[in-house]
Amino acid sequence: MSYKITEEGNVATVHLDGEIDMDVTEKAKEVIMPLIEAGKEVHLNLKEVQYMDSSGISVLIESHQKAAELGTKVILKEISKSVLKVIMMAKLEQILIIE
Amino acid sequence: MTLEEHKEFPVDSASLKEIRNFAREVLAKDEMFSSTKDDVVLAIAEAAQNIVKHAYSGQPTGDTMRVEITFKDNTLKIDLFDKGKPVIPQNIKPRKIDDVKPGGLGTFFIGQIMDEVIFKTSASDWVNHLILTKNY
Repeated sequence: MSYKITEEGNVATVHLDGEIDMDVTEKAKEVIMPLIEAGKEVHLNLKEVQYMDSSGISVLIESHQKAAELGTKVILKEISKSVLKVIMMAKLEQILIIE
Repeated sequence: MTLEEHKEFPVDSASLKEIRNFAREVLAKDEMFSSTKDDVVLAIAEAAQNIVKHAYSGQPTGDTMRVEITFKDNTLKIDLFDKGKPVIPQNIKPRKIDDVKPGGLGTFFIGQIMDEVIFKTSASDWVNHLILTKNY
């Protein structure tokens, strides 16, 4: 997994790339959580994520819940077809914020 | 068409990508699997992840796990073997899907994708034996 962060005002966009599994979830959290804790609105661009398993989905849930707790939000953008399929399998499309 | 492939991998989260690639290569051998390949790869990877996370509690080990993929009589069968803590099948329950919290989704995904999931213990030289099947 690789990533790139761009910031504009209070919005931080994290472009994730590659496969997100148990082996990289800690790294993903280390990237996303500090932005949420800093009060940023975080946009996760998942266009280049070709694979995500339950560990990756857990990062999305955890990020969403942490943001809600701190009064901000995490928005999932340009979700790849394979990741959207897993999100829908987990029945999270109505819970996570998807644009 | 019949298929019989197997490989052993170190019990480590770093092996998960290798396991997915192995499964992808095997399932790419017949077009019959093309529409379900990604789902089956996910189920195999989730099962392997459960071995790392639960049978070995995420602790480093020199052990390996074995993944067998066979296709015979229109049934795809995945066997996963490990030497970790014995699994107590009654304790393995997918979490309720409306209970939104991180974790516990892997078993749910496996159940959604595969037609049958069987846990066995005392499998010859191994401790745990998980059998996943899907009918085509």
